Amino acid sequence: MIGRSRGTAACLALLAMAAPHDRAASQSYWVYAAAESEDEVALLRYDAGGDLVVEKTITTGWLRAEIEAPHGLAMDPAGEYWYLTLGHGFPNGRLVKYATGADTVAGVADLGLFPATIAIPPHGAVALAVNANFHGDHVPSTVTIVDLETMFPIADVVTCTMPHGSRFNADGTKHYSACMMDNQLVEIDGATLDVTRRLDLIANMAPPGGENCSPTWTTPHPDGGRVFVPCNKGDVILEIDLEAWRVTRRIEAPGAPYNLDLTPDGTKLLATLKGSARLGIWDVETGDLLHMIDSLMRVTHGVIVTPDGRYAIVTVEGVGGDPGTVEVIEIESGTRVASAEIGKQAGGIALWKMEG
Amino acid sequence: MKTRSTIRPATLSAATLALLAATAVPSPQLVAQEVARVVVNPAAITLQVGEKATVSATAYDADGNVVEVPFMYFSRDGRGRLAVDRFTGEIEAFKGGEFEVIARALGPTRVSGTMAATVAFPPIDRVEISETGGRYYTGVTVRHKATVFDEADDERDVPVTWTTSDESVATVDRFGVFTAHGPGEVMLEAVAEGVVGRITYVVADNPVTAMAIEASQARGRTGDLIRFTPTASDAGGSAVDDIRITFSLISDPDEIATADIPPAEIDGMGRFVAYKPGVYTVTASVPGQTAHATVEILPRHVAEEVQFVGHAPVRNVSTSDLWVWEGVDGRDYAITGTHSGYGSTYWWDVTDPANPVLTDSLIVDARTTNDVKVSEDGTICVISREGASSRRNGIVIVDCRDPRNIEVISTYDDELTGGVHNLFIHDDHVYAVNNGIRFDVINIEDPANPHRVGRFELDTPGHAIHDIWIVDGIAYTSNWGDGVAVIDVGGGDRGGSPENPVEIARFRDIGGATHAAFPYRSPTGRFYIFMGDEIGAPAFDGQEDGRTPEFMDGYIHVIDFTDPENPEEVARYEIPEAGSHNMWIEDDRLYAAFYQGGLRVLDISGELKGNLYHQGREIAVYKAYDPDGVVANAPFTWGPQMHKGNLFFAEYFSGMWAVKLLPRRVLIP
Repeated sequence: MIGRSRGTAACLALLAMAAPHDRAASQSYWVYAAAESEDEVALLRYDAGGDLVVEKTITTGWLRAEIEAPHGLAMDPAGEYWYLTLGHGFPNGRLVKYATGADTVAGVADLGLFPATIAIPPHGAVALAVNANFHGDHVPSTVTIVDLETMFPIADVVTCTMPHGSRFNADGTKHYSACMMDNQLVEIDGATLDVTRRLDLIANMAPPGGENCSPTWTTPHPDGGRVFVPCNKGDVILEIDLEAWRVTRRIEAPGAPYNLDLTPDGTKLLATLKGSARLGIWDVETGDLLHMIDSLMRVTHGVIVTPDGRYAIVTVEGVGGDPGTVEVIEIESGTRVASAEIGKQAGGIALWKMEG
Repeated sequence: MKTRSTIRPATLSAATLALLAATAVPSPQLVAQEVARVVVNPAAITLQVGEKATVSATAYDADGNVVEVPFMYFSRDGRGRLAVDRFTGEIEAFKGGEFEVIARALGPTRVSGTMAATVAFPPIDRVEISETGGRYYTGVTVRHKATVFDEADDERDVPVTWTTSDESVATVDRFGVFTAHGPGEVMLEAVAEGVVGRITYVVADNPVTAMAIEASQARGRTGDLIRFTPTASDAGGSAVDDIRITFSLISDPDEIATADIPPAEIDGMGRFVAYKPGVYTVTASVPGQTAHATVEILPRHVAEEVQFVGHAPVRNVSTSDLWVWEGVDGRDYAITGTHSGYGSTYWWDVTDPANPVLTDSLIVDARTTNDVKVSEDGTICVISREGASSRRNGIVIVDCRDPRNIEVISTYDDELTGGVHNLFIHDDHVYAVNNGIRFDVINIEDPANPHRVGRFELDTPGHAIHDIWIVDGIAYTSNWGDGVAVIDVGGGDRGGSPENPVEIARFRDIGGATHAAFPYRSPTGRFYIFMGDEIGAPAFDGQEDGRTPEFMDGYIHVIDFTDPENPEEVARYEIPEAGSHNMWIEDDRLYAAFYQGGLRVLDISGELKGNLYHQGREIAVYKAYDPDGVVANAPFTWGPQMHKGNLFFAEYFSGMWAVKLLPRRVLIP
């Protein structure tokens, strides 16, 4: 473990003390989930052991007759606001700031072409939204840095072609994103907000390398020493050692891995497998597959792990007229314990709070 | 002092913070690092254009101790005028003005400090006057305008003082209203911060001894454009063409005109239109001479009755666009798309429009099949896709020679993955609006093997495109803030082709929200482009409780494009209660969908001027209420099409409808 992660480790210890198992049984988990083909965001509550309930549906967008594609969701660390990217604009997308709970708009910032995922560092002063430009020419795109107090887009940092999977490490010192069309992992310094390093994932993939990767996500490990990147077209999840800045491990993940998350203690890795409509759970230490859970609908998309590490909450897009679904998976047993339908093409998801 | 330390590992993830808050476990690191205030040094700065400076910031906690956090510097009002390096705090002035520079501490309390930056405006470079000078006549009064530019070539809003060089020849007031009093040469000057703009007039005695005026018609109807042509003559009977003639109007409307609209209007070119029936006298004036002409304006009397014909209900999903055509078997068919549904498209036999029959349907991998079009020979249908689960949208090409047994021939999504919202078929090519930024041209001569042959994209920053319509080899694209673009794709004189679209002209209307455009060559000889807005109230904050339709805004702009080098926005069709969507024009009639305002039919005969809504030109309004619609009894009209005397239109919440217009029956006592 490298030095800067000591604070995080201390916090994880606090977490472990703060969530005794008997208490966790009565907890409620609140999440926001975006429905990309419905221009809606659903607020859901899961009471441990009970049902997953849609508490509210929040409509979004400027025009009824245009689908504006709510895609990425992020929660402000203090919980006061949540943030949503709208992929389709005129033509650029936007970042919309909502007051949590009231779910009223508190600000809007212009972004680039089809902005996707959003990352907010622990200090909460800025957001980094990747302009994925899913459907434009395959030219380098940008990460937009937005000041969240004023919702002012301060800068567009050029990264790579079709950036996705915007995530900060635990202490906010580094930001990572992956480039779906040029197979890079890009690191941005959390203080200067400039690109510091790039890793060619194809050249660095452990043998048998050379295949396609199309990385779609980044998830830094809480130990601060590594980041996990799924190769959506390579059916593998890569572990990148941040000190050596190279791929050090491949975890086989058949079925087009898409989004990732880790349990807060860093022991389990979760991936939505978009192509096979499953959620996979792996032991981080051994790389062993622990569970493979079928989803109720096709096209699994987002996954988050609850702060107590008990549950994974997964969004599933569906196809055509299928409703989007949100599923709750108990991580330990690898079983689905609840689900709920929301608008079509459920995608971005963010946890608001855990109560109880 | 500026600090650049990296963020300390005292911060926690959002989830961790939430858990800690919920469980009330203290976090000593968080408390120790809380920033209470930020001081920016210097507190204010003054720069010249081109100068640089560096600002710094210091963060303090509540006890006044320095907290080491990184900062991010920016200026919201300085975009394009004051460059700020977000990390170093270096600023560089490019334009004059007052700016606020913010130093945001990248810490959990989001505290910031500010600094005022004043950049001196560059000196004034020139003052330009709206007129060019030349011959002028005594007694004539014309307002002049001055535009001031600084040395950075920026237009500046500074006070302007007007003077003339010889007040016995001419005087000018503070608004630039210039009046000649006697013959002689005189300079008119506009002065801004000591910089003078000037033009020279040579004032001569007013030679006009006679005035005449002629109206293009003595009697007309509300909405008719009547041209008043004045003639000023000297004592020898020769026309004086270079004297400024003004027009005024005496209105005597039949109805008492309340204050909402004037009963009539006339512009500086003598173009008159009346909103109310009555008698109107137009006066043409030069100093010392006037002439009058009076016209009688009658009611337009164009209203017709709407007869319901039939309804092809679609009640489980919202309906988008439609196309109606005569099939290869001589029967009439329609195709309707769907919106925010499950990718369905429907074919109907509408030979008997009173009894439309669903003949076939198709479900593709999409949520929206927004646009549906049919080839000129009625054999190929093309469907646009949005919301495909694979995120590869593109188009679907369908053999629809037999609408009872349609068959998918091929799909095409190469570089069309962003979603095709609108398309048009012209001469064996599909023009597909791609990803909201350009249109691609797909050759479908062999529909089983479609292939791209061309594309077109505007060059303006942040350009966008929403729709495309093609008539006689000319494409009309609707481009939101960039307005309409007229593009030669084979029918123009610019050498354009499907492989090489060539732009002919572009026009941005008032407002800049162009969503649809429809060209129309009027029997008057005028060539108009009707440009429809789409403006909506944002669907934020629960404004759609119960999923009732929201209010849509915007109107149809009428652009006279007869001279494509000098297009002019001459008229509008703006109804107060709703906004425009798609339209169709045929035989001097505009058929327009106005969302919650229903289907509107407008008489667009003659030359057009003013707000057509107030001119008695509305022929019919029809609102389709369906108690079993997706939203019950909620007209939300999407788009119309006239076909063989029946007016078909798509209703977002209830499917396709058909109505017929009938002459209004008048009771004879």
